[in-house]
Amino acid sequence: MIIQILLLSGLVLFSILAILLKDLLKAALSLAVASLFLGIIFFRLGASYAGVFEISVVAGLITVLFALTVALTRKDSEVQEARLTRLVFPLFFVIFLIIDGLVMRSLLQQVPALPAGPETGTFGDVLWKARTFDLVAQLGVILAGVLAVLALFRKKEEDKDE
Amino acid sequence: MSNLWFLYLFFSALLIFTGIYCLLTMRNLIKLFIAVEVISKGVSLVIIATGAVKNSILLAQSLAITYIVVEVSLVATALALIINIYKKNKSLDVRSLSKLKG
Repeated sequence: MIIQILLLSGLVLFSILAILLKDLLKAALSLAVASLFLGIIFFRLGASYAGVFEISVVAGLITVLFALTVALTRKDSEVQEARLTRLVFPLFFVIFLIIDGLVMRSLLQQVPALPAGPETGTFGDVLWKARTFDLVAQLGVILAGVLAVLALFRKKEEDKDE
Repeated sequence: MSNLWFLYLFFSALLIFTGIYCLLTMRNLIKLFIAVEVISKGVSLVIIATGAVKNSILLAQSLAITYIVVEVSLVATALALIINIYKKNKSLDVRSLSKLKG
């Protein structure tokens, strides 16, 4: 329980750092560390496949994409944020923390425990047989993403002729 | 185990709050997508934690993996869009997008 709370606190802490740090590269790295914490939490909950995906894809690939974007837009990319944004955040965060704690505490006493039933089969059975439609949709999403990126980076016709 | 579920809900609500705060207050486009990522972390934490509590971790994992794939596709497209916006406007300020003609 204590380890879980520490991991969850680390996840929230690095997510906050990712948002508050001015340097975008450091922010992207903080996000990667937060993903690492989330992956470890997934492993501890017994979701090893999701943990592997979280660490390899989100902590790895998405961080690389963010770093690449930061590198490509570094020059003159400084954006003047409102001064109060970072100063007021701790105040709002503490207020939300208290409200969140109170709401969860009241829910704990009122909401009945979720009905739980044992699951049969393996992860492969569930993914390939029960969620086949999801896999087809994933293929569609990946294809759409690739086509969108290709469309966004295409060159003008005149450039091709030159 | 139900107590543990509320603990996960508590922390994921914090993540979602942090992301929404950033979305509402920040102006840098890359920061806005970092906020979207933070919100998605909160959501995937809820999916897996609920699956673990309900003893349906296999289904939750398959949903989380689908979610991660969608997230990657979204981020790749959005970052490509951000680079194009930067090329056009020479700025990552979200307010510069309100000066569109037409």
